[in-house]
Amino acid sequence: MKTKLVLNFNPESSNLPITHHLIAEHGLLVNILRAEIDEVGGKMVIEVSGKADSIRKGIDYLKDASVGVRPIKEGVRRDDEACTHCGACISICPTNALSLDPKTRKVLFTEEKCVACGVCIDACPPRAMEILI
Amino acid sequence: MTKPNRVSSGKGKTYGEIKARASEGNAMVMTAMEFKKFVKANGVKKAAKEVDIVTTGTFGAMCSSGAYFNLGHSDPPIKIQRAWMDGVPAYAGIAAVDLYLGATELDESNNMMHGGAHVIEDLVRGRAVRLKATARSTDCYPLKEIDTYVSLKTMNQAVMMNVRNCYQNYGAASNSSGKTLYTYMGKLLPELGNATYSSAGELSPLLNDPYYRTIGIGTRIFLGGGEGFVAWEGTQFNPGVARTPRGVPKRPAGSLAVIGDLNQMSSDFVKGLTFTRYGTSLGVGMGVPIPILDEDMASACAVTDDKIFTAIFDYSQQRRSRPVLKEVSYAELNSGEVSIKGKRVPTSPLSSQYKAMEITKILKKRILDGSFAVTEPVQRLPLDKSLKTLDVRSEKEAMK
Ligand code: SF4
Ligand code: SF4
Repeated sequence: MKTKLVLNFNPESSNLPITHHLIAEHGLLVNILRAEIDEVGGKMVIEVSGKADSIRKGIDYLKDASVGVRPIKEGVRRDDEACTHCGACISICPTNALSLDPKTRKVLFTEEKCVACGVCIDACPPRAMEILI
Repeated sequence: MTKPNRVSSGKGKTYGEIKARASEGNAMVMTAMEFKKFVKANGVKKAAKEVDIVTTGTFGAMCSSGAYFNLGHSDPPIKIQRAWMDGVPAYAGIAAVDLYLGATELDESNNMMHGGAHVIEDLVRGRAVRLKATARSTDCYPLKEIDTYVSLKTMNQAVMMNVRNCYQNYGAASNSSGKTLYTYMGKLLPELGNATYSSAGELSPLLNDPYYRTIGIGTRIFLGGGEGFVAWEGTQFNPGVARTPRGVPKRPAGSLAVIGDLNQMSSDFVKGLTFTRYGTSLGVGMGVPIPILDEDMASACAVTDDKIFTAIFDYSQQRRSRPVLKEVSYAELNSGEVSIKGKRVPTSPLSSQYKAMEITKILKKRILDGSFAVTEPVQRLPLDKSLKTLDVRSEKEAMK
């Protein structure tokens, strides 16, 4: 099973070795999609994969460590009919979920890479990107 | 001025020869992409001899677009003074029932998200649009107001008329300030977080005909999916900018005023766009066939993105002339990243290269199947115009 989580850290929890713990103690694979953390806390978007039970235990651990946990159920969708492949979104997407195919010059949307940050929503001139959370 | 159909060297072709071959279905037509490859492999001489027509294209946000309509007369008649189409004000000071709707005109109730561009796209899609109009009653036009629906089916004329489209090159944009800027060049992230550019580069019509030899008044073009014509030089036409040794402008230079029937157009190539906190603009697809009259034309159309340059301007300066951050080629911009002041800055095209390529292919097909006839311009565009500015001046100064 695979799931994406948005983690919110306060100053206390921001120094915890949480990814190490999730990997070592719960046997999860952790992919950090986005991280903005400093001494005063911050935000991180991770993708964890592993057994459903282990993921649940991992989430419990995070909550105990007073890390805010919010699963991303559905992220962002693109209306392919509305997209003009203009490329306005590709330089602002922090995870390269939106990228230009060098051959066809079409803009590809790789949903697995999207962390639903929402940055592209108001940058898309025909309003093809829609956020669902 | 020399007539564009006279070719000085014996090696060239005339418009007549090219048109005759095209009407017989024997013309050699290539898209801009194909032609550049062909020249690379075979050289300019062979290309000039064998290729008749190269199709170019562009699709991007083109402000200075709009459409005029004749609504037909109501009973009793009205001489419209103020009008709104789906809430967007249209200009009515032309006559009784003629309106002009500008792409950047904004819906009075909707926070800069919906404007004339969207209404034009809706009409092209075949939708009905709410028309509200008011008037002063006169003896010949007694009606004071009307509230109804119109669509392309109900109007006498619905004509796209854009006063400045198809810019020959355009400046790129970045932002060195500490905050995100919302501009007509898209969302510009702080601290040189990204750079945007808006020309289709080597596919773009006027970059393949840098001195406007074959693109002029009367040239038949692909406009919004249908057929249109070059009506005039575009506004802000400024051919005197710095150019490369091969004549390609390094700054925004020429542009085209174009006209075409909305009834022929398709929402694939006419799109209402919203630039957050800037307003609306119309995405317009345009394509121009370029006749390869001689080796000079072949060599102009062989230009590639590494030989076309522009400047990245710093939009953090809210001035008429913004500082240049860097001169770059379109090949660099297209690579997805440029380096500015030692920083790696990701780039975004803004103009759809995918749609530009589609347009070159459609145009090629239409020329080959005889549904699009290549024309010779009726008159060349001027080469001696320069750009004036709007300054606060006295009545006397304005007349000097
Ligand atoms: S929401 Fe948009 S900008 Fe953010 S990661 Fe997803 S695709 Fe990229
Ligand atoms: S900004 Fe919107 S229209 Fe342009 S490529 Fe991205 S999703 Fe498509």
